[in-house]
Amino acid sequence: MLLVLLKRLGQTVFVLFGISVMVFLVFLATPGTDPTSRIAGKNASPQTIERVRHEYGFDRPLPVQYATMMKKLFITQDLASYANRGELVVPELAKAAPITLSLAAGAAVIWVSVSICMGTVAAAFRNTWIDRTLMMIGLVGLSIPVFWLGQVANLITQARFHDTWLFSWVPGPGYIPFSESPLGWFRALVIPWCTLAVLFIGLYARILRADLVSVMDEDFMRTARAKGLSPLRVLLVHGLRTSMISFISMFGMDFAQLIGGGALLTEVVFGLGGVGRLTYQAMGALDLPLIMASVMYSAVFVVLANALVDVIYLVLDPRVRDGR
Amino acid sequence: MASLALLACMATASLCAPFYARDIAHTDPFRSNVAGSFTLDGQQIDIMQPDDNPLHLGLSPVGPTWRAPFFLGADSQGRDVAARLLYGGRNSLLIAFFAAALCMILSATVGIFAGFFGGVLDMVLSRIMDIMWAVPVYLFAISLSIVTIAQGLKIGPFTIASDNLLLPIFIIALVYIPYAARVVRGRVMTLRNAEFVLAARSLGVPRFRILMVDILPNVTGSLVALAPLLTALALLTESALSFLSIGVQAPAASWGTIIQDGEGLIYTRPMVAMAPGLAIVLVVLALNVLGDTLRDALDVRDSRRENG
Amino acid sequence: MQQGRILFLTGLLAATCAHADTPAPPSPGGVLRLAGTTSAGTLDPQISYMHVTYQVEAIVYDGLTTFPKTPGPADRHAIPDLADAIPTPQDNGLTYRFHLRPGIRFSNGHPVTAEDVAASMRRLFRVNSPTAGPYYSHIVGGDACLRDPEHCTLAGGVIADNATGTVTFHLTHPDSEFMDRLAFQHASILPADTPAHDMGNTAPIGTGPYRIVSYEPTSSMVLERNPYFQQWDAEAQPAGYPDSIHYTFGLDPESEVTAVENGQFDWMEGVPLDRQAEVGRRFAPQVRITDSLNVFYAALNVNEPPFNNLLARQALNYAVNRKAIVIYGGGPTVSVPACQMLPQGSPGFEPSCLYTKGATFEHPAQQWQAPDLEKARDLIRRSGTAGQHVTIIAPSAAGHSAVATDLRDTLTDLGYIASVRTISPVAEFAYIQNSDNKIQIGLTGWSADYPAASSFLQTLFSCATFVPHSDNSVNISQFCNHDIDALMQRAATVAVTDRAAGDTLWAEVSRRLMEQAPAVPLDQARSVSLLSNRVKSDVATAIYGAVFSQFRVR
Repeated sequence: MLLVLLKRLGQTVFVLFGISVMVFLVFLATPGTDPTSRIAGKNASPQTIERVRHEYGFDRPLPVQYATMMKKLFITQDLASYANRGELVVPELAKAAPITLSLAAGAAVIWVSVSICMGTVAAAFRNTWIDRTLMMIGLVGLSIPVFWLGQVANLITQARFHDTWLFSWVPGPGYIPFSESPLGWFRALVIPWCTLAVLFIGLYARILRADLVSVMDEDFMRTARAKGLSPLRVLLVHGLRTSMISFISMFGMDFAQLIGGGALLTEVVFGLGGVGRLTYQAMGALDLPLIMASVMYSAVFVVLANALVDVIYLVLDPRVRDGR
Repeated sequence: MASLALLACMATASLCAPFYARDIAHTDPFRSNVAGSFTLDGQQIDIMQPDDNPLHLGLSPVGPTWRAPFFLGADSQGRDVAARLLYGGRNSLLIAFFAAALCMILSATVGIFAGFFGGVLDMVLSRIMDIMWAVPVYLFAISLSIVTIAQGLKIGPFTIASDNLLLPIFIIALVYIPYAARVVRGRVMTLRNAEFVLAARSLGVPRFRILMVDILPNVTGSLVALAPLLTALALLTESALSFLSIGVQAPAASWGTIIQDGEGLIYTRPMVAMAPGLAIVLVVLALNVLGDTLRDALDVRDSRRENG
Repeated sequence: MQQGRILFLTGLLAATCAHADTPAPPSPGGVLRLAGTTSAGTLDPQISYMHVTYQVEAIVYDGLTTFPKTPGPADRHAIPDLADAIPTPQDNGLTYRFHLRPGIRFSNGHPVTAEDVAASMRRLFRVNSPTAGPYYSHIVGGDACLRDPEHCTLAGGVIADNATGTVTFHLTHPDSEFMDRLAFQHASILPADTPAHDMGNTAPIGTGPYRIVSYEPTSSMVLERNPYFQQWDAEAQPAGYPDSIHYTFGLDPESEVTAVENGQFDWMEGVPLDRQAEVGRRFAPQVRITDSLNVFYAALNVNEPPFNNLLARQALNYAVNRKAIVIYGGGPTVSVPACQMLPQGSPGFEPSCLYTKGATFEHPAQQWQAPDLEKARDLIRRSGTAGQHVTIIAPSAAGHSAVATDLRDTLTDLGYIASVRTISPVAEFAYIQNSDNKIQIGLTGWSADYPAASSFLQTLFSCATFVPHSDNSVNISQFCNHDIDALMQRAATVAVTDRAAGDTLWAEVSRRLMEQAPAVPLDQARSVSLLSNRVKSDVATAIYGAVFSQFRVR
């Protein structure tokens, strides 16, 4: 077991290393990304440019540049942006993280609770019109592009009906820190939460229903029902508990991706300065230090969640161990 | 069935785009025309219309006329939105279809090789998949797009220009390989240890023959069930990339680029962004329903990940 | 300063911008709340080259000279600031002797000395200021400083005498714009002990009525009164009205508009096109439309086909429909069609439109009328370039790519096989400058650091500003004409003693340059700002845009 865990750790480190090298090479090899002249400023003299090139180490061999960047990112944490002179990358990321966390956590609360209700009800009434309607709603949710849904939400709450009693409470797009005003935080995020949750509600409700339905046919469920327990109780207590393993592992992966910047489109549409939008802006500006930092940040979450899910499976489900 | 009919309708409508633009609306949807005007009910109307506020600030494109020219109004470059919607559908559907097809071919290759031969090959392929898997899909696709859009893609003697549709097709196919390849690999590994394969092996049947005769047909089932789902994901990804202006490049259109065009007009002309969004929802919904039906028929479990 | 079409625009038109009823004495009060899209990185006034920082730091730092912070025309030159007068040039314009106003203190209480001035000029080289080369290297010793900034002394170039409060500058050649360059933010006077490296997010100490007390690049900046400030000249550095100024960053322009409409902020700049009709209708008294010295243009590479052919360049100038360009800019209220590379209101500007219907080189029109496609097609036929491939490089921002797409249609009409390539806005400007990229047409904008014809004509089109194989070669057209170069040199020399005669020469340079058509000037943008109803009066100038110290809030 310990060996497996160590192996897993080794893999994790390897993946992180691979990503950092990939990001570094891709964004350094792209033409037009030499940051020297951008750092030196418009119309700078050749001497100034040469000095900046030397100061930032752009004249050193690539492995040295890579090592320096990694050292500045992880050890001294004073890696500075190429696009905005003097802007440190790590604090930048630290400021974006709570915004993304607020967005993802709120959306998760909504999608988990709604999808559990939807999935359970659909399974309980399986093959009736209730089941079909709920599943169709879920499918529609899965089919809406999130950035467009966000735009529609903005159109309704910011433009068309903003002046009516219905949506006058919605603040302008952007984030309000919880510490500044808990109520403002909630108001600013509730529309993005719902927008982001729609997709996952559809996905999770459908998967939960499928799991429940297949579990309902298994022997222990039949036994429980035969013992005279009420069908609803059997479904909720035994069925839901069994289905939760895959539900939770899926949730772990999705949530990690969202925290790591996967909610990018939602953040862009609602003007939330989270990790995803930061990464997107950094990529648009070809700002290698910021890209590196945010991609590594995101990868850490995803890789950890991946490893965690694998370990959970390893512990809970011996079949997987043989399968690998 | 309804979903197939809807998909067929959308595809046909998109194919009729040139006909609509040329013979019904009489416009060129790829030509900017902000300084122009058109005739409606015998009246000459400017495509860009000034506002009558005291400061003379602001110009808006003409709104939906609900008839032939500018049925859905004009965008901020004075082009007919309805015609662009049809042309855009052509690109969106094309990209989604080919990206999904390419993705399936590639992931089948990767998955089969990794799963069947195992060993070092499996380890190398799996680690590469791990790396790709560890970056959120959209972030991965966006970074590839930004890099290739900047300069086009040079592979040896071949150059793919940045406005070539092959770029989004390749990128979208690439980012979804880990998803599809995992499914295939898992399936192959189960099959590899299945009794009929073990039996064939013990009889000394060559490995290549086993691969072609026993494994491939069995994997095809899971792939076919995956096809509509992958197409739907590809369509959503394409629209997201185009929405961020790193997918289909101007002046060509896709549903995503039209939504992007509409973002700057959301206060004055919301229809520009609404129409292509609805088209996406309808097509993706139809694909999902189709995928459901296929999965039920072929009995394959749903497994996918997405993000917002 | 490179011009972001919508992002950073400066502004001024005397009549439209000054909304003070009577020049009331500065009565303190209130908090001024500003909303912005993004901050602009480093606060170091000797390094930052961004309009946002320039605008804010105009009320934090002073140079020996400065530009007036009162309403007035766009072409006003530098006036004395920390110095008590503009010195008369000596040695045929090679020597300037400044005398500091007595009694001015930094915000830490220390008096401003001649040594601070000399140290600031050295620091400018030591921190690799972007303009150290182009604007200041003609100070004696400047070249040595460029080569070896760490040991920069400017010995013999800047001589400080603390006892008398005089600073003497020696130049290697006369410069009619030296006073303007000393007024630019990179020549701000800082205490002599300011560290000689990029100060980043910490603002160095200054002399203006406000000081920056906190700065978070992603979220906010706070300015408070400088306790040691006493007004010495109401035009150069007027005392401020608000007690403090809060700048919030990170909102998108749409929500900035909504927030100012709702009174959550007092000022935002750059009302998006989609909202302009709305603010014009509902908030007309709170809208400010301001002119500034900028030009949006398409640079034509004179060393690559087809635009190495003069006829092809002229043809494109005839063919581009500026009416469409103006519509992309937001309509005639906020965009003025451009006929030459010198913007309206700039020194040396004389109305002259060569490439429009009804104009000839002998009889230019006063302003642009309509495209002349016949003439354009005829020129293309004579050039024999039809059928060639042309790629337009444009920044991937909404407004720019729309114009690029329109240009593509025009090129197609002329018989070329045209395409557009958009590049991330930050990378585009460097990309189109590098001659290795062999661009044919590059879309970009340019705005003035200080009001001078040279900052458009000489900076963008002289032989010296074309540096092959470099990302820093602002002469994007790679244009080098020795006759025009000589004429520009003459204009600059004449202006040292006779500004009016210099301006006349610059007007001629502008005409001669357009005959060679190294670029297609497109339009000059005006910026649209929105104020809250709390703002009682405000001031904007051509160079700084809004002067925040002059905002009075209820």
